[in-house]
Amino acid sequence: MITILLIMAILLLTSQKRKQNVIGNFKSKTTNDQKKLKRMEKGVYRLLYKYTKLDIDKFILALFMMLIVVGISLITPILLGYAVTVLSEASINVKKIVIIIVIYVVILLISFIIQYFQAVILAKAGDHIVYKMREDVFTKLESLSINQLNETPVGKLVTRVTTDTSALNDMYTSTIVNLIKNILTIIGVIIVMLVINFKLTLWILVTTPVVAVLSYIFRKLARKIYRKVRTGITNVNTSLSENISGIKLTQVFNQEKKQCDHFREINNELKHNYSRQILVYGIFRPSIYAIYVLTIVLLFYIGGKQIIDSNFVLTSGLIVTFYAFIEKLFTPIQNLAEQFNVLQSALAAGERIYEVLNTKCEIEDQEEAIEVDHLDGEIEFKNVWFAYEEDDWILKDVSFKVHAKENVALVGATGAGKTTILSLIVRNYDIQKGQILIDGKDIKSYKITSLRKHIGQMLQDVFLFSGTIESNITLRDETITHEEVVEACEFVNADKVIAKLPEKYNDIVRERGKNFSSGERQLISFARVISHKPNIMILDEATANIDTETEALIQDSLKKIMNIGTMLIVAHRLSTIQHCDKIIVLRKGRIIEMGNHFELLEKKGYYYNLYRLQYKDNEKVSVN
Amino acid sequence: MLFGKNVNRYYFKYFHLFLIGVAALLLVDYIQLLIPENYGKLVDLINDKTLTLDSLLKIVYNMLFITLCMFVGRFAWRLAVLNVGVKVETDLRIRMFNKMASLSQDYFQIHKTGAQMALYTNDLMSIKNCFTDGIIFFIDAFFLGGLAIYKMVKINVLLTIIASTPLVFLVLFGGIIGKIIDKRYDARQKAFENLSDFVQEHFSGIAVIKAFVKEKLELREFIKNNKEFSEKNVGFIKFSVALDVLFSTLIGSITVIIIGYGTHLVITTSGAEDAFTAGKLIEFVSYFGQLTWPAMALASLINMISQGSASLKRINKLLNYEVMVKDGKDIVKVDHLDGYIECKNLDFTYPGSAVKTLENINFTIRPGEKVGIIGRTGCGKTTIVDLLTRVYNVEENTLFIDGIDIMKLPIKQVRDLIAYVPQDNFLYNDTVLNNIAFSKEHLSLVEAKKFAKFACVDDNIMEFPHQYDTIIGERGVSLSGGQKQRISMARAMAKDAPILILDDAVSAVDTKTEAEILKTLKEHFQDKTIIMIAHRVSTIASLDKIILMDNGKIVAIGTNDELYANVPMYQEIVDLQRLEGGDE
Repeated sequence: MITILLIMAILLLTSQKRKQNVIGNFKSKTTNDQKKLKRMEKGVYRLLYKYTKLDIDKFILALFMMLIVVGISLITPILLGYAVTVLSEASINVKKIVIIIVIYVVILLISFIIQYFQAVILAKAGDHIVYKMREDVFTKLESLSINQLNETPVGKLVTRVTTDTSALNDMYTSTIVNLIKNILTIIGVIIVMLVINFKLTLWILVTTPVVAVLSYIFRKLARKIYRKVRTGITNVNTSLSENISGIKLTQVFNQEKKQCDHFREINNELKHNYSRQILVYGIFRPSIYAIYVLTIVLLFYIGGKQIIDSNFVLTSGLIVTFYAFIEKLFTPIQNLAEQFNVLQSALAAGERIYEVLNTKCEIEDQEEAIEVDHLDGEIEFKNVWFAYEEDDWILKDVSFKVHAKENVALVGATGAGKTTILSLIVRNYDIQKGQILIDGKDIKSYKITSLRKHIGQMLQDVFLFSGTIESNITLRDETITHEEVVEACEFVNADKVIAKLPEKYNDIVRERGKNFSSGERQLISFARVISHKPNIMILDEATANIDTETEALIQDSLKKIMNIGTMLIVAHRLSTIQHCDKIIVLRKGRIIEMGNHFELLEKKGYYYNLYRLQYKDNEKVSVN
Repeated sequence: MLFGKNVNRYYFKYFHLFLIGVAALLLVDYIQLLIPENYGKLVDLINDKTLTLDSLLKIVYNMLFITLCMFVGRFAWRLAVLNVGVKVETDLRIRMFNKMASLSQDYFQIHKTGAQMALYTNDLMSIKNCFTDGIIFFIDAFFLGGLAIYKMVKINVLLTIIASTPLVFLVLFGGIIGKIIDKRYDARQKAFENLSDFVQEHFSGIAVIKAFVKEKLELREFIKNNKEFSEKNVGFIKFSVALDVLFSTLIGSITVIIIGYGTHLVITTSGAEDAFTAGKLIEFVSYFGQLTWPAMALASLINMISQGSASLKRINKLLNYEVMVKDGKDIVKVDHLDGYIECKNLDFTYPGSAVKTLENINFTIRPGEKVGIIGRTGCGKTTIVDLLTRVYNVEENTLFIDGIDIMKLPIKQVRDLIAYVPQDNFLYNDTVLNNIAFSKEHLSLVEAKKFAKFACVDDNIMEFPHQYDTIIGERGVSLSGGQKQRISMARAMAKDAPILILDDAVSAVDTKTEAEILKTLKEHFQDKTIIMIAHRVSTIASLDKIILMDNGKIVAIGTNDELYANVPMYQEIVDLQRLEGGDE
């Protein structure tokens, strides 16, 4: 009961503190934010409660064990003092000493066993809780829409899943327990001391406020300087990795000296901050130690005087017991400040996790959404309006129809809305006005997973995962056989590239596929799409940096792919799309021309001009 | 506590700090052991009932003096020793960096960025530890430990042996146990890194995952990683907790033994001249308490120094690495270079490679000439640029500038001759202006703007939040590949060198902008030599001369028209890039 009250008190105290900090930092913020803050705080406790409940029995057990350990640890100084008293008597009672030693050994054994099991129980419980939490955070993040995920840098997402949850793990396994243990020890030691010798205890406690004040000041200074040191280290490391990558450029531009001078500068700044940190610690640590020794001096003086005044009715056991108690008192007092800090940052991590778990996914299945195992591939846009941000319309009243098995190209300048149209079909976003139909049904009536399964996407940024060629094509899907993989690769002409590799389909793909050229990466991702046997394909161009030979391969693959099913394609190079059944020309979110290559050329409009521009480059060549 | 090449000098350089630090440490260790003495004396005086106010005050004054000395001593060693560590670390880091900046590409091909960074972080840290903790631990282990044992022996020899024998084992096994702990910790860290890498990659490729509906499969994989970490985590905690508890129990048990045997001594020697009093027992227990730390320090000192020497070995390897590309002894001094380039039967093999990258290359480029180089990926185009900029050494008498062997020219002068737009358009994490002014420190904004306009990137820059003061790579400013290429181009133009080399520099630029850039080059760089490497025929078709390469050899050299008429390979490239239709 007491312990639960204590936990509550600690949590409340830290939260109060944090609230002050936050409000202090953003004084100008509206009450709205304060409300949000309050809601978040409540949320953290609800979150912690929800997860703690999973292993609440273990926590209670661990707390109970801790109480025992703290309790019996208070006995040892008394025993030690008693032993000295017994030894100082003229005729020593051996039996008493034996009893003392036996009790001492028993205490030692009990606390050995209890401490071990308590720590293991906590470690397991904390790990179990955080394991579950981590999985929940990952699942939640994964379920969010592409748009929501793109708003957050990947690094932050990783932090939520790994570092933030680990902070909570530390909180569960050590921080809270140590904090309670320290507070209980301090209280216990003071009570026992007061009971033994009231006046002496009061004298001894004179130094504790000094320690508290000093720790508080130190904490502030240390944090400030720590931040500076951290920034300094980051600067040095950033500059290092940058300079290692850019060394060739620096040398070719003859700028070695400049870069070295700059590096020296940021290093000296770091050195300066390190020295200041050493100074701050150099004053604080010895001061605390000095106060500790001064407290002992106080004990010697006041205690000694009391003993003299009592005419040696009080024994040296008093000094010995208190000496041991002072030692027990000083360690937790020093650690307290740090532990509150850790708890505070753990709660902040909890807030961030709460925020993730309570984010609503922007794009979800309708209740009556259906599953389909095949799409014919008829796509229709009916007066579609779409904006990423309110009223900033990217698509304005777009209507077109693509028949099953047709090939359609989207053409237009950057920002005309080509990629947007593709991402709407797979419901990366939902439209604001109008309707998108596939096989005559609104795309919202299909399950999102079902929709995406049958639409093959070649994305603008080709992404390869670390693993093998084969794992990149199947994406861990064990239902795709090796034969199917080979077949897909042959189909898109990737087989020739793969045949040259030492390990063929098992060749290692490094992070982001950086050990392959962009053309090779593109071929592999073509094979990935084909092996998943889509009914509809959408291709978003990514053909810069590709040499002519690879480009020829890709062109050839494209021609073959065009026979698979419905295809929507975005490309800058007109040579890629001139054979399409239909070409849709977009300008600033509106369709301005539609028809096949020759029809559009005859119109002598936007497409014609585009064609002229690209054709002209090659004209000089063909004039010969 | 680390000796070897490249670090011994620090003992001389920071001799005064070492002196202060060591003296302060010795003082602190000595003074520290006076506390138990006074403590024991007080207990004895009380037990003998002979304590008077005077003798009490004497102890109190002693203790106050000890406090003062401890404060000063601890302050002094912290400042002296820890600052030595920082100074050594900083100095070594700068030396390593300077050395690295002078090394040629052969070094960087073998030593990857990750391993390089580890030198500066992990290895440097373990060397710093040897200079700070190493010294502290060394003195504490031997001086504090020795002194404590000496004082214990003076009280009772047998009791000292009983008390310190288990500690000897602690020292002996401490190193081994420390290694096991490290191993478990590393395993846990590795599992954490795996988990973190997986999540990192997962969310980087989330678009693919979602497009192919692989969320469930990925979750399964995540759970696998999560479980692995969870197991390693609990495994580590269990082991370290067990050790912790075991250690404190061991110390506790020894204390019990001391008290037990001590009691025996107190009883048997009671009344004798040099009686083992209760005060002595308390004093002895206190010394023993002081002895545990030196034992632990000694155990970790061994690991620390072996780690430090291994790190020093790696760092020495960098500091002593031979610079391959450097000015030779028979350097020809010239006042001015025009930039007449001539290749004569040039062969080239990358260091460490068995295959020739370039074979029998012959060509000349006159000052002011505009030359294009075209060919498949990997045919050696970029290698030619690397040789012209002396990134690698070439065989003597194969590559000439103004008729002088490039190996005999000062490297700095050769590089001053050339402005270069590399393929990977690397930009520094600095402002746009500073990036453009990379080789011209005092370039004005007006001038930088001029070059940005030449490279058709001024409009883009003006749309950035802070225009030319925008820091590249900072949050919220992600430059497209094309923008990076063009800023990199502006940087090369700003160098204002006689030769401008563009290595596939317009690949990510759209057709319209490319045409504009080509026009600018024609108009404003009339008197400069321009060498353009490209994939698209449109980029190089109008140049004075085109070098067609294949498989490390030159296939043909000529104008666009000549090559199209006579060289089938060139015809093929052109036809592949041609558009159908348009019959006007």
